[in-house]
Amino acid sequence: MTFYVTDGGEESFYTAVFECYNDSGGIITSKKDLQLELDSSARKVAPDTEKAMRVRKKIAQYDSAALNDIMLALRSCEENREQVAFEYIKLIIKHRRPVRGRSNIPAVLAMEDILHRVTHELHRFKGFLRFMENDRGVLYAPYSPDNDITDLLAPHFAERLRNQKFVIHDVKRKIAALYDGREIVICFADGADIYLSEYEQAFEELWKLYYKSVNIEERRHERQMKGYMPVRYWKFLPETNPD
Amino acid sequence: MLDAERLEILTESAKYDVSCSSSGSKRVNRDGGIGNASVGGICHSFTPDGRCISLLKLLLSNDCIYDCEYCPNRASADVRRATVTPEEVCELTINFYKRNYIEGLFLSSAVFGNPNKTMELLVRTVELLRKEYNFNGYIHLKGIPYADEALCMRAAKLVDRMSYNIELPSEKSLKLLAPQKTKESLLAPMKTLRDAAIYDRENRVKRAERAIPAGQTTQMIIGASPESDGAILKLTQALYRQMGLKRVYYSSYIPVVKSTKLPDKAAGLLREHRLYQADWLLRFYGFDVEELCGEGENLSAEYDPKCAWALKNLHLFPIEINRAPLDMLLRVPGIGARSAYRIMEARKFARLDFENLKKMRIILKRAKHFITCNGKFYGADGESTIRASLMLCEKNGGENEQLSLFSTTDEGMRALTGEL
Repeated sequence: MTFYVTDGGEESFYTAVFECYNDSGGIITSKKDLQLELDSSARKVAPDTEKAMRVRKKIAQYDSAALNDIMLALRSCEENREQVAFEYIKLIIKHRRPVRGRSNIPAVLAMEDILHRVTHELHRFKGFLRFMENDRGVLYAPYSPDNDITDLLAPHFAERLRNQKFVIHDVKRKIAALYDGREIVICFADGADIYLSEYEQAFEELWKLYYKSVNIEERRHERQMKGYMPVRYWKFLPETNPD
Repeated sequence: MLDAERLEILTESAKYDVSCSSSGSKRVNRDGGIGNASVGGICHSFTPDGRCISLLKLLLSNDCIYDCEYCPNRASADVRRATVTPEEVCELTINFYKRNYIEGLFLSSAVFGNPNKTMELLVRTVELLRKEYNFNGYIHLKGIPYADEALCMRAAKLVDRMSYNIELPSEKSLKLLAPQKTKESLLAPMKTLRDAAIYDRENRVKRAERAIPAGQTTQMIIGASPESDGAILKLTQALYRQMGLKRVYYSSYIPVVKSTKLPDKAAGLLREHRLYQADWLLRFYGFDVEELCGEGENLSAEYDPKCAWALKNLHLFPIEINRAPLDMLLRVPGIGARSAYRIMEARKFARLDFENLKKMRIILKRAKHFITCNGKFYGADGESTIRASLMLCEKNGGENEQLSLFSTTDEGMRALTGEL
């Protein structure tokens, strides 16, 4: 069995699809600390623009929407994301048409599951992200999503806040989206020193008070609350962190 | 700036308004303003009662001239009173919005002075927010009964959604508990708004100029008055079908006010939950109220309304998963709208068996009594065995899956399945 190890990027993934396609025991992964068994070997796959292009073209020929789905699936935090996307591609090429909706095929369900988890989290953070304003009027939002969604999330806020500068910071992956009022730039960001504006504390306090006041104590239902808003997201929400 | 004490008073006064959704509008961010609306709605937080916070829910004032029995802000109540200015509301909305605390504003008010004065100030607040603050986020405005139609229409052109609360499920109860409001004072503005929306649609008015693009909703208190579930659902159905409402909200009665005209016990959440389940069946599963609940009857406490219907109609089952039409799939207990559409799609390509259904996360412990797959049947024999088996599902964790009426995923699908 051969592991085709990508660098985690799309280009490298499609190159691996090209190279692995006729290797029936081939597995694509981007796992860094791969544990090899006795009868298996690993091959590093460097991105090759031409090979990646050929694979993309082939897929688009049968299902033009699949490329976007694969882009999303590769953002997943699941370790087998590359392999799930690869199996899905093999099905599209075998059937020569979209396989979306064929819930009777396990590989299709696996792909839909991964997609759902990425898009669901993306949707959730449109609500759960919290900005704070610094002393120069820039909004800063630290967060730690399960999936790598920062560059997908940023356009939503650029559309909304339009002329407002902001930074969205995935502190676990050390990635930040910077918006200067015109365009979004994605960059590496290790730490950040934030000097809050003089009003920031006051608005945060008002928000916490609002959160407390709007709750109906007689209807307490924490299980439902945690179902909709998982505890792992609470760290960056002012309202769930009483001082 | 709005101080903490008034924010607390006016939030506490507004919190019994159930409506929280921010869906149904596609308002875009224009002219370098701030904000837009997301058609599927976005939840920004969840409070320990399990409800979502989407909008900043606030009263302009809780200083009321009316004396509705059930209301904590009624004129004769001894509570702290507060009023805010339109500027204060706008400033707080913008600052909360910028920080992504909220999706927009839900503004209501007690009636102070007179209805026109109150409505005028509500409309002024909305105008200020849209025009001066250039806010294009979501606004849900509560209408004030008896206010001029012209004021109502001025508001309708600016906001995404409006609602007049029907308050109680019958005219008789309204007379007893809210004697200063009449059925007519609530229904007349709802009709005006409905007709305005129909006019805009038929005359293809530009999206940006349409009145209440996200439609109207309403709310009623359950358990403060003696109406049966059947009567409540009949009213609900009429509000959907004749008044074109987007949502009817139910608020389970909590005795916050002591009164001889009111029960001294809370109505309980199960009844409210069953009503919401039935409400979903009316809107997205093709049911008529007559099938679910007779005029004077109540919904079953033991089974959800779809199970209860299926048990009464066992002669229609089992149905074959690979052949049954969509409207029958939708009626199978354990198959939700999303699953029904998934089955329709998947069976175009292959014959489905129980293993497929299980992988598609259909709740087989419930559905198996009502379906066959390729002619095979794995359900229980006879009505009493089925009843016992379903009763068991309801007890063991049935609650969890059913309370999750809202999940958040791709918007196209959500529109179909009624999660919006």
